[in-house]
Amino acid sequence: MITKVVIQGYRKFRSFSVAPDAATNIIVGDNETGKSTLLEAITLALSGRIDGRWANEELNPYWFNAEDVRDYLAAYAKDPQTPAPSIRIELYFDSEDPDVQRMRGVHNSLRLDCPGTKLEVVRNPDYDEEFTAYMADPDRLGVMPTEYFEAMWKDFNDTPLRRRPAALGLSMIDSRTIRSKAGVDYHTREILSSFLEPKERAAISVAHRKSRHEMTTSSLGGLNEKVRDGSEDLHDAPLSLTMDQSARASWEAGVVPQVDNIPFAMAGQGQQASIKVALAMKRRAESARTVLIEEPETHLAYSRLHKLIDRVETLAGKNQQLFVTTHSSFVLNRLGLDKLICLRGDTPARITDLDDGTVAYFKHLSGYDTLRLVLATRLVLVEGPSDEMVFKRGYFDRFNKYPEADGIDVISMNGITFKRALELCTRLDRDVVALQDNDGTDAANIVEELKEYLSVNRKMFVGDPALGKTLEPQLVKANGVDHMRTVLGLRPQDNPDTWMPNHKTEGALRILESEQTVVMPDYVKQAVEHFA
Amino acid sequence: MNRVILAVAGGRKTQSIVEDCRSCPEGRRILVLGYTTASQHELLTRIRAAGVHGHQVEVMGWFAFLLQHLVRPYLPLLYEGRRLTGLNFEGDPGRYATGIERFLDTDDRAYMLHLAKLAHDVAAASNGAAIDRLEHIYDEIYIDEVQDLGGWDLEIIQLLLKTKLRITMVGDMRQALLSTNIKDPKNKPYRKEKIFNWFQLMEQRKLLSIEQAPTTYRSSQPIATLSDSIFDPSLGYAPTISASTETHEHAGLFTVREADAIEYAQRHEALCLRHSRAVAKHLDLPFMTFGVAKGRTVDHVLIYPTAKALQFLTGGARLEGQAACALYVGVTRAKHSVAFITDQQLLNTTAWTRAPILPKAPGPS
Repeated sequence: MITKVVIQGYRKFRSFSVAPDAATNIIVGDNETGKSTLLEAITLALSGRIDGRWANEELNPYWFNAEDVRDYLAAYAKDPQTPAPSIRIELYFDSEDPDVQRMRGVHNSLRLDCPGTKLEVVRNPDYDEEFTAYMADPDRLGVMPTEYFEAMWKDFNDTPLRRRPAALGLSMIDSRTIRSKAGVDYHTREILSSFLEPKERAAISVAHRKSRHEMTTSSLGGLNEKVRDGSEDLHDAPLSLTMDQSARASWEAGVVPQVDNIPFAMAGQGQQASIKVALAMKRRAESARTVLIEEPETHLAYSRLHKLIDRVETLAGKNQQLFVTTHSSFVLNRLGLDKLICLRGDTPARITDLDDGTVAYFKHLSGYDTLRLVLATRLVLVEGPSDEMVFKRGYFDRFNKYPEADGIDVISMNGITFKRALELCTRLDRDVVALQDNDGTDAANIVEELKEYLSVNRKMFVGDPALGKTLEPQLVKANGVDHMRTVLGLRPQDNPDTWMPNHKTEGALRILESEQTVVMPDYVKQAVEHFA
Repeated sequence: MNRVILAVAGGRKTQSIVEDCRSCPEGRRILVLGYTTASQHELLTRIRAAGVHGHQVEVMGWFAFLLQHLVRPYLPLLYEGRRLTGLNFEGDPGRYATGIERFLDTDDRAYMLHLAKLAHDVAAASNGAAIDRLEHIYDEIYIDEVQDLGGWDLEIIQLLLKTKLRITMVGDMRQALLSTNIKDPKNKPYRKEKIFNWFQLMEQRKLLSIEQAPTTYRSSQPIATLSDSIFDPSLGYAPTISASTETHEHAGLFTVREADAIEYAQRHEALCLRHSRAVAKHLDLPFMTFGVAKGRTVDHVLIYPTAKALQFLTGGARLEGQAACALYVGVTRAKHSVAFITDQQLLNTTAWTRAPILPKAPGPS
């Protein structure tokens, strides 16, 4: 099991470190925060490969962290002896397995005594002169010449690795991959072949060769006679046809899984994703298996996703460690908010001490858009759509722009309690302003109850009960009945006090779009002022 | 319990390791350490031939073991920023080199000369981690030809004896002609055949038990008895028992006059042995030294004894130390007969003549 991932100088990650959960990890983050890069880095350090090809063959100038390169080039201008950028990806393991313990030592950046694997990309000393010449060239590009670097894959005992240690399993499930021509992509092929013991594999290979040979002697026999007739005229030696016996024609290339008698490649992409997860689950036992799943929600309708996540859940734990990237709140809620790793720059946030009740709460309300809450930097929590629109109007009146323009996400609670939402925001250390109706309770009592989640950057504003139980009477109080009637565009005989509670969202929309001035209730004003 | 099994020449030491490996319960992990490349190769071939697979039993050399399992993983804890790159077989940092320069050359290769000391220091710097790591990887360690170890090697063994690992050492002190590190001043009193005293010390400390396996499957009883007589009984070696069932028309202990030596060697196709090249230069025989002959089995040997050996064979003072070991190795090469080139009459031997009288029941009376 991976206890720590340390990444230095690889793509987005300049100096990144995360301590994943033993069973499940849900990796979320805005676009371009490095979700896929993290999975890629784990694959590299665990298998020495990327998309099935050796890291050394795939070295790419853009693997280097852009800031590292920029700083290096700047420093180089002053001192050509500045060390060139390097890449280091380290996986720290916790396992008693003797085969994993062989990879134990202190050859890692944290000087920890534990088993582990690492991938390093460093300057190749054999190319010192070439590198110096490259750097001295005034017309050189602003990228690192990867030709003069080498990727080294080793364990923490400082021993080079040549293939993935048998004790460390790896499954990569990427629902996004487009069907390959071969019918099955590299990762799926890997998963399939891991079902077999070496002996079984050899037996299949022999049988396959035999059947191809039989085909040559029987079916091709007639054809060969025809070919031979007359071939003597064209060429000295007789010509004949045979089945390809080369490695290219290995049985693996000719075998595809099928579902309900439909070949894998012909199945829908959603079904393909489900199959891949199912295959990954049924592999032979290894002491530590890392399962990487990239955006399982892709291509899947809700009900299918539901089933898939059920499978994924049973997959996790007991020797299997899951890393799932997702853009789906459903996936996040279902797999458990406490398993969240939120990427943002080099410092990922993990929620380790979320209340079990809160985790269960969001699991049941799996449709709630938790991810929006998780990903927002600054957010305003309001009870419902009417509060949302009124707050936006208040914000616009104050700053002459809508909150979105300032990166403030206004989120309706839609039935989620403030307590659960604020707990989540506290664990994620988010800036929050919460707006709540008093429903007849003293504002001080409400705030007191949520005290543990409130701080300088997490404020709660509640309307004064004397001015009304909910937003609507508060608005009427602040603007007066007549003015409110004008704002809402009501007939003279309509009473805003009774109309508004019955037309909450309609009323709020009219307020948002009204050209009349609208006075905000005090607690809304305070909330808006918080962003001044 | 840790054991040291003191076998005799022809005692099937390697075979006993192979059989232990084969009968070991599924899932137990064994490391077998040999000293010479030849012995590692033989161990590996025979273990694999016995159907034991690499997953369960691993064969390694003593130096590779020190490098891979003790020095490499934790070297940075002793010398920050240093990485092991290999082994320097012949280099010598000089007697005044101190600190890291005593152990690693400029390319960060470890000097074989001080490897055991380096391994010991790194293990100490790891604060128990190096041993804990080993305990996680293996259940048992076998050390073959243990008599060849000495100096700081013994400190490493003592470290291993105190772990959860079950240590089994197999060797024969009386064949201690090689040594991993002759220049190593550590444990000087226990060099070569005196390693026996060290084992006795370890036994006193309850770290191991000494088992004697005095059966030879090679030599006949007269040869075995002669080989025993080379050593002082107070050293504590158990008398050798021959389990050899082979018979041969030319068997027993003989003296051969110098003038008959070539004739004897040819007629019986005897392996000719001497202590060193400096001895018996005047005889035109294909001599081999005792040290080189170690490990071989032949039907007949013809030995040119040193002056001291001759004294002993004529009833004089016993041989000591390396001289005793050398003669022991020479005598125990033979299955059926041992002959000494001398014009003197030796005890309990038959004088060989060109028309030999074949004795019916040769041996000491």
